Amino acid sequence: MAKKLRWLPLDNAAKIYPAARRQNWSNVFRLSATLSESVDRNILQSALEVTLSRFPSIAVRLRRGVFWYYLEQLPYTVKIKDEYSYPLTRMTKAETRNCALRVIVYKNRIAIEIFHSLTDGNGALVFLKTLVAEYLTQKYGISIPATHGVLDRNEEPSDAELEDSYQKYAGKLLASRKENTAWHLSGTPEAKGFINLTCFEIPVKAALEKAHEYNVSLNTFICAAMMMALQNMQEQKVSQQKLRRPIKVLIPVNLRKLFESKTLRNFVLYTTPEILPKLGRYSFEEICKVIHHHVALDATPKQMSMKIAANVQSERIMALKLTPLFIKNFVMKAVYDTVGECKSCLSLSNLGRADIPDEMKPYIKRFDFILGVQATCPSNCGVISYGDTLYINLVRNIRESDLEYNFYKVLKEFSLPVKLQSNFE
Amino acid sequence: MYCIKCGAELGISETACPLCKTKVCHPDIEIIKEEGLYPNGKYPKIKAESKLVHIIFALLVLLPILITLICDFQFNHSVTWSGYVVGAIILGYITLFLPKWFNKPNPTIFVPCVFAATALYLWYINYAVGGSWFWNFALPAVIGVALIVVTVAVLLHYLRRGRLFIFGGASIALGGFMLLLEFLMSGAFAGVKFIGWSLYPLVTFVILGGVLIFLGISRSARETMKRIFFI
Repeated sequence: MAKKLRWLPLDNAAKIYPAARRQNWSNVFRLSATLSESVDRNILQSALEVTLSRFPSIAVRLRRGVFWYYLEQLPYTVKIKDEYSYPLTRMTKAETRNCALRVIVYKNRIAIEIFHSLTDGNGALVFLKTLVAEYLTQKYGISIPATHGVLDRNEEPSDAELEDSYQKYAGKLLASRKENTAWHLSGTPEAKGFINLTCFEIPVKAALEKAHEYNVSLNTFICAAMMMALQNMQEQKVSQQKLRRPIKVLIPVNLRKLFESKTLRNFVLYTTPEILPKLGRYSFEEICKVIHHHVALDATPKQMSMKIAANVQSERIMALKLTPLFIKNFVMKAVYDTVGECKSCLSLSNLGRADIPDEMKPYIKRFDFILGVQATCPSNCGVISYGDTLYINLVRNIRESDLEYNFYKVLKEFSLPVKLQSNFE
Repeated sequence: MYCIKCGAELGISETACPLCKTKVCHPDIEIIKEEGLYPNGKYPKIKAESKLVHIIFALLVLLPILITLICDFQFNHSVTWSGYVVGAIILGYITLFLPKWFNKPNPTIFVPCVFAATALYLWYINYAVGGSWFWNFALPAVIGVALIVVTVAVLLHYLRRGRLFIFGGASIALGGFMLLLEFLMSGAFAGVKFIGWSLYPLVTFVILGGVLIFLGISRSARETMKRIFFI
């Protein structure tokens, strides 16, 4: 049944991304798997064709309707691309009109770069794992079970995988959108749109031990370290305490863990813990407590259903539905610019542990998750762990590496063994 | 491998520390250069933005110019009233749409262009009506305004801070310009006396400029104003 699907409307969260993009920015993220051997491009191309037919909501292009954008199935296959000097090169409007997904190969690495309107990090991870599983099956003739987020390529896509789960789980009450404006990071823009990537590799065991010392999860611990680094940075840059602005980090919440959903499209919302340096310096313990309690209160099904309702309600108003797309775009962009990114210093998205079937483990060395920079916030952070290692990828489109340096110093204060890699030329 | 400055452990392919940019260096170890996480020196081709929209718009602007000229020629067999219309359209185009052709229009270039076009347009009107007010009134007046506006545009473009001082200074300069304007009017047109009405805007602009500069100097005054005028 799903095979007949030729187009689908954007899900609720996806609607903002085409409207908010601008000439030199669009919301794209990357997931990659590094194999133990060089990637055979011909086999990967063949594996890609098989995998794409299993993911009709990802093998799409973004088209304009009169009232809304929509996703249209690709009439052709996706071609594998070469790597550039930096990840997440600009995805232009013309490119998303042809194909909103990139598959990039560099030596041992298979990377996918996806326009956020198609899916979120968790949906993309399922796609990447399935693609790599199909590649390994074709190359080595091994049989990989459809478990741990790997889908059976011979199976038909189900309706549940293609649904817009936001519509299903919108609550009856609306959450308030009122939030403090956060401290804004800034710096000297890089030439030619270059994006600096710094990867922090930390042993999971050591990081978990430290997190447990503070009675918090690994995610809370990393977020606290980031907020500590931001606090230190602001102290260096803004000497007067009363002029310091709130430090906020946007943490995406995977709603599949809170609601019953198998969707492979966007199903994520956010929570933004904050500290107020105006009130004085926060210790690491205090930051951990703030994040822990904030997430515990906010990331609950009831609270999230209110947030979903606030987003879904506006798109259900008939007058708004009938407004032409170019007017909607104008208004949505204005709203995004005024109340979107300014509400957090950066995003810290943690995909958790990348679990794969045991049969695949000997062939895969690492996974990476890289968030693109935002339109006005110069830095962003993607986290994923695989095997014994935690990979924290910090990107920035400015020259100054102050945030990376401060983050490193915070981690070193906990005596965590950190190894750095970058695309610095 | 460790950075000799900040002590961070670096991946084997790193040529410099990603945190402090210090080059990797160890006198006793020969560094084997491995290819990094990403290929070096490979950038996507940045396609120039399509100029089609600008070309179409420019052609659309040409249309009323041509219609006006044709109508004028048909009735008067020469350029009479259509000259003013064409001049106004061209001036409007230079002011509002010419910078759109460039990705990052620099106001320090385009603002003087606008004033040059304005002066030219006024010269044409003066020539068409057979007036004698261009050289002794319109041109110095345009130059006076241009100097103030261009200075403000340059300072705003190149300085990140001190906006209150820039606008305060501009306000005082504008007050002074009012005196010059009345002086020029008294020279160019009969029946206008020097130092009459210009004193009122002079005093107003100087007070306004003084207040802005005072706010620029005094942080407490600035915060008081923020508190009083918050929305």
